[in-house]
Amino acid sequence: MRKIILIFALFLTIGCFSQNKQILYNFTSVPQSLLTNPGSDVKFNWYFGIPLLSGISTNVGSSGFSAYDLFADNGVDFNVKLRNVVFSTTRKDRMAINEQIELFNGGFKIAGGQGDSYVSFGMYQEFDFMSYVPKDIAILVLDGNRDYLGKVFNLGDLNLKAEMLSVFHLGFHKKINEKLILGARGKIYSSIYNVNSTNNSGYIYTIPSTQGVYEQMIYSDLQFNTSGVAKYDDEDYDPNVVKDITKRALLGGNLGLGFDAGLTYYPKKNIQFTASVIDLGFIKHTNEVESLTFKGTYKYEGVIPKFSSGNSAEDGYQEFKDAVPLDTLYADYTTWRPTKLNTSIQFSFEEEVSEDCNCLNYDPETIYKSAVGAQLFVMSTPRTPLVAFTTYYRRKIFNSLQMKATYTIDSYSYKNIGLGLSSMFGPVNFYILADNLLEYRDVTKANSLSFQLGLNVIFKDSKK
Amino acid sequence: MQLRTIHRILSVLILILFSSSCASDLDYNQVNDIKLEPVIISNLAYFDVEANQFVTGGVEQNVIFDAPTVDVFSEKFFTEKLNRIDLFFEINNTINRSYRIDLVFLDRNNQPVHSSNFIVPAYSGAENIVTKTETFQNASLDLLKRTIKITFRLTMLAGPPLSESSVGNLKLRSGVTAYFVVE
Repeated sequence: MRKIILIFALFLTIGCFSQNKQILYNFTSVPQSLLTNPGSDVKFNWYFGIPLLSGISTNVGSSGFSAYDLFADNGVDFNVKLRNVVFSTTRKDRMAINEQIELFNGGFKIAGGQGDSYVSFGMYQEFDFMSYVPKDIAILVLDGNRDYLGKVFNLGDLNLKAEMLSVFHLGFHKKINEKLILGARGKIYSSIYNVNSTNNSGYIYTIPSTQGVYEQMIYSDLQFNTSGVAKYDDEDYDPNVVKDITKRALLGGNLGLGFDAGLTYYPKKNIQFTASVIDLGFIKHTNEVESLTFKGTYKYEGVIPKFSSGNSAEDGYQEFKDAVPLDTLYADYTTWRPTKLNTSIQFSFEEEVSEDCNCLNYDPETIYKSAVGAQLFVMSTPRTPLVAFTTYYRRKIFNSLQMKATYTIDSYSYKNIGLGLSSMFGPVNFYILADNLLEYRDVTKANSLSFQLGLNVIFKDSKK
Repeated sequence: MQLRTIHRILSVLILILFSSSCASDLDYNQVNDIKLEPVIISNLAYFDVEANQFVTGGVEQNVIFDAPTVDVFSEKFFTEKLNRIDLFFEINNTINRSYRIDLVFLDRNNQPVHSSNFIVPAYSGAENIVTKTETFQNASLDLLKRTIKITFRLTMLAGPPLSESSVGNLKLRSGVTAYFVVE
């Protein structure tokens, strides 16, 4: 019990994701766009992010209900609101949080004969949480089973994961020819802690019976894996959380490997196609691993006197505990990172006939003032993948100010309007990107919100 | 000119957006008001005794007895949150004899905490079902929670003699409805 409370506390302290960065993707005036596509067509000589301030991004999403639905200070009994939320959601609804802070980030160009190459590197900290609404379990807790004779409660509704990790990355990108840029990035993950329970199945049902009042059956195949949290459950342990996190963040945690790849291709001067795959990787959990399992099948018939020996040793509850034992395992496990796929097509217009025409350069930001495009984002989740479709308009407002406006449809919302601005004052680049702007009318009623901001120092290529 | 217009429109848009942005009051302390009231149904007991079980070697056994252990109340988490219990009994007799059924709920010292008694008429061809529902709350519930054993005593009352080839059954089905309050 204490374990479960501890685990839920871990989630709640961080509050309540989707990792779609639709505004940042292919927004090449921001160096961090390289993290969404290592093959981004960036045009810097070199850059570095202001440590801790170069990339801050959070993304909170909840399909099905908002913070307002549950916590509004409107005089309605909390239990009524909780019931409304549970009964208006489905097992497909999910809550998600993603947060990233760059500790350092930088990159530089290596001029080559055929085409330029770029190297970019950095470290960031990331937190991911995702949980589906455990609807059937919530109904059992709220109402019990009396009013649900014949209903099969699905224990597979329990599906959640949470992870805090640090990521060290090194990317390389090369302009193959005037039309094609290829990029790749290697990543080392160092997991600070991980909690996941995503491959559950099972059911509980109660139906009327002629033998006994009910036929009551439980089949359970539940597993809850944790790494990096078990020792905090030990009462004799005096935790030094800061020291533990620092050590694990600096490659002292459970390690994993990942890979990003991407490309930018110009079939025509004003048409651009991009694609990337991000976080194709895994983490092997071997240190401080503890898993709880609750597996077995049991049919509860109640007390059945036999009237033969005079004293039948019926022991229903003990029998149940033996049939569906709660076990603790210490076996290694592997988790897969949520893999993201991005792809976009962009059509640029309003050619800028500048004084120093650099007509050989295909950068649409340089020679076109405006662009429209469409993006598709797909992310792997424990169940069906998350898909988001975005259309956007990009505009160079001044030489020092770029704007990207987006309209996104996904499972959280069909009216997600986002806006990103990236400015250059001298070598200092400041960017701020926010989506679901319509929801700012009342943020508490929003189903999803995300924003990213950061400060970089960029030295642009002035030779060409 | 065009650029300036766009810029102006954008500035106004951003201004409207952020100046009209607000947040309703949220009160997270409401979590403390949580009150769960699940109602759980389950089996309590079941038996099906055939007429010939009351006859051993041609001699009627007028009393048969068993005392199985009931350990569901041993889990403190459940008993602390229990607010009310309903016990439902249904007895179906298709034997041509009447019976008295006594269920005695015993605590760890073998002291009775509750008893349920039933008089079941003899079967005469028509449906012969006896039902009863007992409700436990407060003091009676506290007593019932101490149960660790239930004795079942079936007493066959006077009537036409049974043989090992007599037909019919004496069946009991019993369910429990547990009302929890978790605050």
